[in-house]
Amino acid sequence: MEKVAAYLAGGLSIGLAAIGTGLGIGWLASKALEGMARQPEAAGNIRTSMIIAIAFVEAICLYALVVSLILITK
Amino acid sequence: MNILEHLQPTTVVPLHLLGFDVSLTNSALTGLLAATIVVLFFYVVSRRAKPVPSLSQNAAEILVQFVRDEMLAPLGKEGESWLPFLVSLFSFILACNLLGLIPGLLPPTSNLNFTATLAIIVFLIVQTAGIVKHGVGGYLRAIVPPGLPWPVAAFLFPVEIIGQLARPFSLAVRLFANMFAGHAIILMLISLIFIFHNHFVIPLPVLGNVMILAFEIFVSLIQAFIFTYLSASYIVGALQTEH
Repeated sequence: MEKVAAYLAGGLSIGLAAIGTGLGIGWLASKALEGMARQPEAAGNIRTSMIIAIAFVEAICLYALVVSLILITK
Repeated sequence: MNILEHLQPTTVVPLHLLGFDVSLTNSALTGLLAATIVVLFFYVVSRRAKPVPSLSQNAAEILVQFVRDEMLAPLGKEGESWLPFLVSLFSFILACNLLGLIPGLLPPTSNLNFTATLAIIVFLIVQTAGIVKHGVGGYLRAIVPPGLPWPVAAFLFPVEIIGQLARPFSLAVRLFANMFAGHAIILMLISLIFIFHNHFVIPLPVLGNVMILAFEIFVSLIQAFIFTYLSASYIVGALQTEH
C-alpha cells in the first residue's frame, strides 16, 4: 500500500509540476515573441533574457522531478 | 529492476584514506579530465596570444569579455579581480557537461555531491567577500534593503537570511537536476528496446536519442551560463554599496 502511494505521489508531483511549468514557459515565450514583433531591433536582448527566464522556470519542474525520483526509488 | 542504477558512479580505483572512501569513480575521472582540458586550453591559448586572434583565442576572448562586460558590469574596475574565478567556473562546468555527452563517460555534474560542492564554494566566497568589504556589522545591515521602517526591517531580516541560505541549494539542485534528467531520458529511451523485445523498434529510440542529445548540448551551455550568471549576480549583490 505504501509502495502504491509512493508511485502515485511520484507521478502526481511531476505531472502537476509539468502543468505549471508548461503554462509558465508558454506565457513567457508568447510575451517575448510579442515584444520581438513590436520591436524587432530589441529581438537579441529579449531572446537572451527569455532563455535565462525559461531556464529558471524549467528548474522548478526539475525540482519536482527530483522529488518524484526520490519517491519512486524509495 | 531499477534502471537508474546505471547513472550511479562506479568505482574505478579503490582508495581509502583515514577511514573515508575516497575511491576514484568514473565520474570523478571525467571531472579530472575536464579540468585538465580546461587548464591546457587556456594555457596554450594564453601562450600563443597574438594581436590577430586565432579561432581558439577568439573563443577564449569572447568568453572573458562576456563575463566582464555583461555579468560584472555593475562592479566596474573592481569586478576584474573576480574574472578568473567566474571564467574558470564556467569553463569547468561546461567541459564537464559536454564530456558527459560522450557515451561511456559519466558527467560529474549529474551527481548531487559535485554540484553541492560547487554551490557551497560559491556561497562561502560570496559571504566572505561581503564581510571583507563591509565588515560584519555593515554586511548584516546591508542584508535588509535600506530606508525601511524598523518593524518591516525586523520582519524582513530572517526572511532575507533564509533567502541567502536557499541560494546554494537552488544552485546545486538546478545544475544536478538538469544534467541528471537529460541522461535519465536517454536511458529510458534506450530501455524501450529491451522492454519491447523487438528489433523493429530500435530506430525510434535511436532517432529520439539523436534529438535529445542535440538538445542536451544546448542545455549544457545554458546551465553552465546560468550557474556562472547567478554566482556573478550574488557576488555583485554582496559587494555593491547601496549609497
